[in-house]
Amino acid sequence: MLSAEHLTCGYGGAPVVKDVSFAVSAGERLCILGPNGCGKTTLLRALAGLLPHEGTVTVCGTDAEKLSRRELARRVALMSQLAPVYFSYTVYETVSMGRYARRERRLLDRDSGEDRRAVRESLERTGLWALRDRPVTALSGGQLQRVFLARTFAQDPAVILLDEPTNHLDLKYQVELTEGLKAWTEQGGRCVAGVFHDVNLALGFASRVLVMEDGAVQADCPPRELDRALLNRVYGLDVAGYMRENLRRWEE
Amino acid sequence: MALLAALAALSMAAGVAVGSVHIPLGDVGSILANRLFGTALRDGMNGVYPAMVLDMRLPRVLLAFLTGAALAMSGTVMQSVLQNPLASPFGLGVSSGAGLGAAIVIVTGFAAGTAGMLALPAVSLAFGLGTVLLVLWIAGRIDRAMGNVTVVLIGMVASLFFNAVMSLLGTLSPAYAQRINLWQLGSFSMREWPAVWVLGPATALALALFARYAPEMDAMTFGEEQAQAMGVDLRRCKILLIGAVAVLTGTAVAFVGIIGFVDLIAPHVVRRFFGAAHRRVLPAGALFGGTFMVLCDLAARTLTPPREIPIGSITALLGAPFFLYVYFAGGRRDRGC
Repeated sequence: MLSAEHLTCGYGGAPVVKDVSFAVSAGERLCILGPNGCGKTTLLRALAGLLPHEGTVTVCGTDAEKLSRRELARRVALMSQLAPVYFSYTVYETVSMGRYARRERRLLDRDSGEDRRAVRESLERTGLWALRDRPVTALSGGQLQRVFLARTFAQDPAVILLDEPTNHLDLKYQVELTEGLKAWTEQGGRCVAGVFHDVNLALGFASRVLVMEDGAVQADCPPRELDRALLNRVYGLDVAGYMRENLRRWEE
Repeated sequence: MALLAALAALSMAAGVAVGSVHIPLGDVGSILANRLFGTALRDGMNGVYPAMVLDMRLPRVLLAFLTGAALAMSGTVMQSVLQNPLASPFGLGVSSGAGLGAAIVIVTGFAAGTAGMLALPAVSLAFGLGTVLLVLWIAGRIDRAMGNVTVVLIGMVASLFFNAVMSLLGTLSPAYAQRINLWQLGSFSMREWPAVWVLGPATALALALFARYAPEMDAMTFGEEQAQAMGVDLRRCKILLIGAVAVLTGTAVAFVGIIGFVDLIAPHVVRRFFGAAHRRVLPAGALFGGTFMVLCDLAARTLTPPREIPIGSITALLGAPFFLYVYFAGGRRDRGC
């Protein structure tokens, strides 16, 4: 559904992402792991069509560069890292903006029944229906994160790209978000690719893991087959040892 | 919204009736009906009233309303497009460019006679637009994506530079310094119909265009990346909307001079009552900005007769406390825009 071939990109200077190739098929959940500055977010931005790049990104069988912004947004949605909001839209209005690419151009009565149904479903899926009339400027970081997830669902894409989606979430909502995304992916013809900070959470969520170091792919495999030595090298830490130590604290 | 429209109508009626000579509202109505529908004038009306209403008060009030509406809409659009609650069309260099154009016309003495009456607004509009084009061109050269910060920074640099050139002109030709200064503070005393005929359609067209792009602006307030990910063709929308704002503000400034503050505060005040969605903020902001400007102009010409206070000072004098009141009176409510 989503593939990158020889993708190279950056911000003018030396490339940040170097010759990356991979493919995600329907039903898969790909987690991109790697230390700070390894090019995870840059790769994600290129996949979302937000960054000029060399190489090809293919979405649902079409070269992404041949699609208009609107056509691309019907296939791919990006949930960005949490950014401050300055304008006091209600939760409902914010989520309904996800329907932008799906709406036909109409000046009046812009929401079709389909739009309203999708917005309501997204709000319920993220537990926000009760908060729908609150201004987004009055929400906590975690609530806002869920609003953006709901907007991503409302966009009704085939591919969801996530940029550290659980950063501001309490444990409970981290679990709910990953479970919600799993359920979303299992509805058929859909896949998720995301950058995760939390290795533990990523390994629990992913059906496949892509490990990056210094802009290049070091491993691309199911989480079970992940080479621990590689992980230790990339993160500069005995990752498994660290996790075990944490576990011991809970077992005492 | 209906309340706001009623307030707008009321303020305009007051604007026409009140002045150095008070004209009864009934007479104003009679004069308008006579002109529009050919009904008879009221018996025993003072003979100079029709000319005062039709040639002086009415065009002035309409011009004030249109200017307020145009500036309020421009401010709304700039704040959303640049995702910056402090942005205003003047930050793009429209006003300083237009000011420089006006100063050049004044200093070269090109403005004498009737030709000058038209030359001044035409040249200042051209300079205002030229400045915005220059800002966008430089911003596009430095940063192909024309990021908000780049546009705001280049706009500020251009504004400061052209302001400096304008001050230099004023210093080098002191005979004209006062006229340049007066122009900069803005005035509706050039109360003529041609200005209304130009600014009226321009404002109406702009409202239609902005209403069409309301969903795009809604998305843009969440930042460039998110707007693009939602499917907005950012570069095209940005150029189109900024261009339209430049034309609209440039036209208004060319006729009445630089009148600050309305463009900045009107969107904030309106969002307080109508929420942030552009399909409501734009028309409500236009009504509010227009009403506010009519009342400010009324104050400008009636508070210290026979002298007139520059309208730019009034908008800030009345606007600043009013803004603080509206913005902070909400108390426990959120402090978003």
